[in-house]
Parts: sequence; structure tokens; C-alpha cells
Amino acid sequence: MTEQDKAYIHWLYQAVGMGNRGLLRGLEEIGTPQEIYQMAVSDSLKEKVSKRYQHKISYVMEFAEGYDVQGEYERMIDRGIRMVTLAEEDFPRKLKDIPDSPYVLYYVGRLPLVDHKTVAVIGARDCTEYGRYMAGQFGAGLAQAGVQVISGMARGIDGIGQQAALKAGGYSLGVLGCGVDICYPKKNQELYDALIRQGGICSEYPPGIGPRAILFPPRNRIISGMADAVLVIEAKDKSGTLITVDMALEQGKEVYALPGRGTDPLSRGCNRLIRQGAGLVSTPGELLQELLADYQKEEETFQHELVFLEKEKQDILRLTDINPQSAEVLQRRYVEECGKYMTLPAFLHELLQLCAAGYVKQVGGSYFARCME
Amino acid sequence: MLSTITSGAVYGIHSCLIQVEVDVSQGLPCFQIVGLPGSEVREARERVKVALKNMGVKLPPMCINVNLSPADLPKSGTMFDLPVAVGIMTALAKIPKEAVEGTLLLGELGLSGELKPVKGVLPIVREAARRGVRRCILPVRNAWEGALIQEVESIGMEDIHSTISFLMGEESENTGVCHGNPVNLETIMRQEDENKTLDFADISGQEGLKRAAEVAAAGFHHLLIIGPPGSGKTMLARRLPTILPPLSLEESLEVSTIYSISGLLQSASSLKTSRPFLNPHHTITGRALAGGGRVPAPGLISLAHRGVLFLDELPEFKRETLDILRQPLEDKKVQIARSSGNYIYPADFMLVGAMNPCPCGFYPDMGRCRCTPYEVRRYLGRISGPILDRMDICVEAVPMEFHDITCHTAGESSSDIRKRVMAAREKQKERFAGTGIQFNADMGTGEVEKYCRLGSREAQYMERMFVSMQLSARAYHRILKVARTIADLEGSGEIREIHLSEAVCYRGIDHKYW
Repeated sequence: MTEQDKAYIHWLYQAVGMGNRGLLRGLEEIGTPQEIYQMAVSDSLKEKVSKRYQHKISYVMEFAEGYDVQGEYERMIDRGIRMVTLAEEDFPRKLKDIPDSPYVLYYVGRLPLVDHKTVAVIGARDCTEYGRYMAGQFGAGLAQAGVQVISGMARGIDGIGQQAALKAGGYSLGVLGCGVDICYPKKNQELYDALIRQGGICSEYPPGIGPRAILFPPRNRIISGMADAVLVIEAKDKSGTLITVDMALEQGKEVYALPGRGTDPLSRGCNRLIRQGAGLVSTPGELLQELLADYQKEEETFQHELVFLEKEKQDILRLTDINPQSAEVLQRRYVEECGKYMTLPAFLHELLQLCAAGYVKQVGGSYFARCME
Repeated sequence: MLSTITSGAVYGIHSCLIQVEVDVSQGLPCFQIVGLPGSEVREARERVKVALKNMGVKLPPMCINVNLSPADLPKSGTMFDLPVAVGIMTALAKIPKEAVEGTLLLGELGLSGELKPVKGVLPIVREAARRGVRRCILPVRNAWEGALIQEVESIGMEDIHSTISFLMGEESENTGVCHGNPVNLETIMRQEDENKTLDFADISGQEGLKRAAEVAAAGFHHLLIIGPPGSGKTMLARRLPTILPPLSLEESLEVSTIYSISGLLQSASSLKTSRPFLNPHHTITGRALAGGGRVPAPGLISLAHRGVLFLDELPEFKRETLDILRQPLEDKKVQIARSSGNYIYPADFMLVGAMNPCPCGFYPDMGRCRCTPYEVRRYLGRISGPILDRMDICVEAVPMEFHDITCHTAGESSSDIRKRVMAAREKQKERFAGTGIQFNADMGTGEVEKYCRLGSREAQYMERMFVSMQLSARAYHRILKVARTIADLEGSGEIREIHLSEAVCYRGIDHKYW
């Protein structure tokens, strides 16, 4: 396929717009993109297409008018945005095999390497401290073992996992539900820039397409499609994350989930997945053992050594949890469980000293959570 | 013949004695009032004429001129009816001039001649006492208000007839005269204290919240309570006045004056002896809050003077409404400019805000919170930063657990907490003697440096906190102020680490909260 052909494909993708797969198929039957362009310019396109698409075709014809096919394509290349089509050798092999594979993939940075294991780390946008921590652990752990991390660059688990993978020096790919030149959500600008430098960003939508709700579910099939396995960190009972899981199952990918407490709404989706047969992983090592044949399991710990602290502080620290609890509740538990009375101000004083030492962090005004890093 | 009667008018919180000069002379029959009378003052002519007629006094066909002096101050209100009527009678020599000398008269006349109550009696009588007036004649329903001022003999009158008879020296067995029994202020001040219905002991659990309220009360710090629905935020705020020190006599008169101007003092028992607690609904307008109107009336922030202004569901208030509070919070008074002059009302109140942490109310409990970070941020964004900055103490109410609701071990009573608060107040009084500052919360940066000096260990501790908690300079000063109050509560001269720790926990919401 020549660059010229790709320029015409780029034109056609923009002209047809998103969500018009039917029209695209219909046009493909008529001829190559280049021929369609010629017909659109010479006004003969309308007679060729079937009745079903008559009302939609006028936009394609309008779009062709005055459109500089080669120039637009070159300008896109100049901006660092690449394009790869299904027919080409470079197209991600894993993605080729899935049903409903995208015909075109736009990307910046680089696409994942074919011969490296790839895991999609996904989960809720509004996650708990626990989810936040575990996403970070898994992102970093996988990256250190040379596994590529794919996700949707969303707020919450997605972004945290990718950030951790990049920080650990690994590769990560963000699959967007908008054009690759648009950073969505805006808050993740830092991650977006880092991904371009150290990993990649891809999308099936042409540059310039803004984020729209209907564009996001289809991109989930690309996330799972490009991965060997999908790992769910946290998901509610009814969660968008589960769409990705469904697609992964459809595509025949392995699904793993991180278990959580039965009372935690944000772990309910994960626990259910496990009950339905998803692999249970509680540490990055366990996942790596499943993925990599030659992986040597090491001792993994999440606990801090508490030996340097005084007895009271040790007791208090033991009561804290990765999920924030109010100082009042902690104080009551301290009195009940350790059998010693401490006034609230005195208790706050101890807690703040633990904060200053980096063992505990203050969330909001009077809530405290264990620091795990 | 000419006569002069002393009366008074209220301008903002200040009042001014007005001389009502009446001249009755030969000439074309007329009756006019000059001296910038407002329309209600001008209408006094009709009321006086008819009231006198119905009381059996017929005005002779003469030229009656009334001047309200100082003539360049605009006059409004209906309190000049009585002085004008009495002035005419004096000018007609029906009443001896000596009888009205040194006597202040106020009152609105009905057409039947009865005397109706007027607004602002308390501040006018107070001013009159200061200027040497020793007797005042008031509508009988205002008599007790005048009686609050001990230096002045307050006489209540039912109608214009009994007033005239009284002034002519024919009082004897007339039923319309009521010599205001001097009110015993001591008993009033005490009685209010006894019929308390709210008490801190009613609140079970929420130890952290109660403690923060105690600190806020001791230093008169503004307080922001964040917590899920039904965790007792409102319940606590309502009980705050019960742990604030009782009003002193001077403060009580000050507060009652504002209520008198607003026409809210109904009887002797409604003399404000306990600290006001105002709880406006969030649909309140800026004018109702700050005061306004053609002739500006005090707003809620002035009615909350020396007391608590409680804004429940803080983010639901309109942003513009809240922003109006910024200047009064700074100056402790509100100035309203009108073409008729500047009106200044005091507004030294303790601002207590209550809010949910997010639209659904459960943040940071991610198991129950349904809000996105964006929604949560936007919820907080409705309150402007400068208002949040004023909140020295910010405390979170924890969700009530079954244990809290069912355990009936009574907490500390308000009177116990109040004792500690008053001890802390004493310390502040000593410290700030002669500086014009009353409470720790009023300290500026300079004062903080002077009065909140830290020892070397404490300074080191604070430095560590500053770094690990990423505090701002503003938060740092706020923490020192609150720590000073906590130390005062404990009776400690120096601020210690433990006081600083607690204050750090109360620091206002910085942007990291959400």
C-alpha cells in the first residue's frame, strides 16, 4: 500500500465520520478510496450508492470539495501522527485476529512490540485508596518484568497503572476514545506527554475527533484486543470496565481480577468475575507467573517494618488501614483494642507524628490512611 | 407662642436627639412641618389633628409651624406624632413649659388618640441618657424598653389625653399612666440563663466535633463543619450559643439596640440576654443578609452581632450572597451608603458553616460516594476561596454509627464546657488588654508573631509539619492562632507540640482536600 493510498483512506475516514460502519462498507463495494474520491468530486457518487445511504452521502461529497488529499495527509504526518491500516504488515497482529477489527489505527509514539507480553490494566475511574495503590503496584511490577501495559488513559485505575508502568521504565500504550491529538481527560496531560515520549497513544478515530460518550465503548475492544490478558483492579457491580471484560472473553483473552473485601462495592465486580472463573491475582508476581514461563517468583511484601516506632505508635499504625478512617473511630478502636485511654487531642498528636514520619497520610481533615509506599 | 420638645431619631445604629420646635401664631390658618420630614413624618399633621379632636381638643384657626431640628437631617418614622401634639399644646399654653423641659417624648398617634409603639426606642433613650435627659414619655408598650436604661425615668402612656393630663400635673388616679417600673437587669440576665432547652449533653458521640466547637467558641474562630447528612452538624451548631460566654450587660444592650431598630423587641423578656443564633435558609438574598432598603434596615449579619450566624448547606448559598460576607468578616461591621447618608451596623459574628463533603454526602467513603472528582470539586468551588480562608477551624463530622445513637451515656453538659471556654476568654482578655483585640481569632500577622511565639522544639516540630503537610503561609498563621486558643483552653502559657498537632488537624480545607 502506497502513501498515496493511505492519504485517500484518511480522507474517506474523515468524510464518513464515526459510527457509520454500514456506509463505509457500502462505499468499499463501489471501489477503492481513490475512486470514491474521484466520483465524489465529479458528482457521480450519488447514483452509485444504494438507496439506504442516499441521505448520508451528501456530506461525503461536500467534504471532498476543496479537500487537499495529499496535503492534509502530509500535514498529519508532520504533526507526528502515523496511520496504519489492517492491510499493512505493521498492523498489530493481535488486533488483526479479533472480530470487528478496526480498519485503520492512528497513533503517536510507537505501537507495542509484537513479541512482548502485553496486559491491559483496567478498572474504575472513581477508585478507592486500595485500588489506587494496587494499580500502582501492578503497573510498576509488570513494567519491571518487561510486560507492556495497555489501558484507556482514563481517570482512576487506568491512568494510575499506566503512570506507574512508565515510572518503572516500561512501555505503555493509551487507547483513546477520541483523536490521538486530543488529551482526554485534560487532567492527564502529564501522562499523555509521557506516553508520547516513552510509550504510545493510539485510536481508530481520525485526529481532531473530540471525546463523545458513544465513541468510548468501541475503543474498549481495542484495549482488550491488543492485550494478551486483561487485569481488572477494581470494578463496581455495573461498571464500564466489565464491557472490556466481555470483549476480552469474546476475543479469547485471559481475564484476571484482583480480589477485594466482600463489603466493598468497588470490589464486587472483581469478586464476581473471579467466581465466574477469572484468574485470581493478588500480587504482580502471581500474574507474571501465569504470563511468563520463565518467571522466578520472589518474596513479595506490602508491609512496613515497624520496629523503630514506640509501642503506642505501633499500635496506632496497626489500626490504620489503606482505606481512610476518621480519627475519632481510630481513637475509639485504640481504646477498645489496646485497653489504654488516650484523649482525642493526644491521639491526633500521635497520628500527626506518624504523618510527619510518612507512615500515615491525612485525607481530608480528620481522616487518616496508611501510606504504603 | 413658641415651644420646644425633645425627641429623637435613629440613623443606622446611632441615634440623635431631635428638637421639635412648634410655633403657633396669628395668621392664615395652616399647619406645616419643615426640617426634611419624610412622607410618614409629614402625615403626622393629619394624625395629630384628628387625634386631638377626638380627645376633645380643638385646634384654633391659627398658623402652626413645626420645625424638626437639626433641620438638615432627613427624618423618617412615626415617633414624632406625640412630640408634635404635645408641642402644639405647649405652644398654646395648655401645658406649662416647665413640664416638658428635660423630657424626651416618642410615640405614634392613632386617630382615636391612643399611643402606638415605635421602633428604635432603646438606642434613642440611651442617647438621651447620655445627653442628660432624665425622663421620657413613651407609648406604654415601649415603656419597658426605656426602663432598661437605668438613669432615665420611663413613663408609659396609653393615649394622648392621659399624656396631656399627666404633663398638666393632673395625674392622680388616671388609669392611662404607667410609671415604668425600673427593670431589674440582673434578674433578666439571670432568668434567660435558666430556661435553656438545648444542651451539648444531647449530642451523643461526635467527640471530635464537640471538641472543635469548644475551641471555636473559646477563640471566637469561624467554624466549618463538613459531614454526611444526618451526622449532627445542625444539632451541634444550634447548641453553640450555649457554650459561648453569656452576654455582658453592655453587649446585651448593644445587641438589643439592633433588635430595637428592627422592631424585633416585643417585651421585657425579649431583651437579648443570650447570644443570637441565626439560621437563614440558603435562598436568602444578599440584601436580607447584609441589610438594605431605602432606609437601610439591619440585615441578618447585624442581627447575629455577638452571636452565631449559621449557614447550613453552605454550597447551596448563591456565590454572590456569600461574597457579601467578605467585607463584614474583615471589618466586623457593615456600611450601607444611601443618598440620605451612610448607615453603619455592627456585624461581629461567629460564622459557622455546615456542608456535605460532596453532592451525595458520603465522600471520602468511596464505597458509598457516587460522585466523580469533578462533581466534588465543583461542589466545593461554589464557595469562594476568601470565605474558606476565613474559616479558622474546619472539622469533619463522622457518619453516626449505631453505637453512637444508642449509647445514652450523656456527654459533657454545656455549662461544663462553658466554664472552660470562659477561662480561656479570661486569658485572652489579659493578653490583649489595651490592644483593641478581643479574641485570638482577631489577631493579625503581627500579633500572631508577638503572641504565638514558639519554643525551639515546637518551631522544629512545626517546620517538619510544614514540609510534610505542604502547608501554605496562610495556613501556618491560622494554625498558630488556633493553637494559641487550644493552649489557652488548657491553661498553658506556651504553645506546645500537642496544641500544634490539634490545630494542624483543624486547618481549613486546602485544595488537597478533594
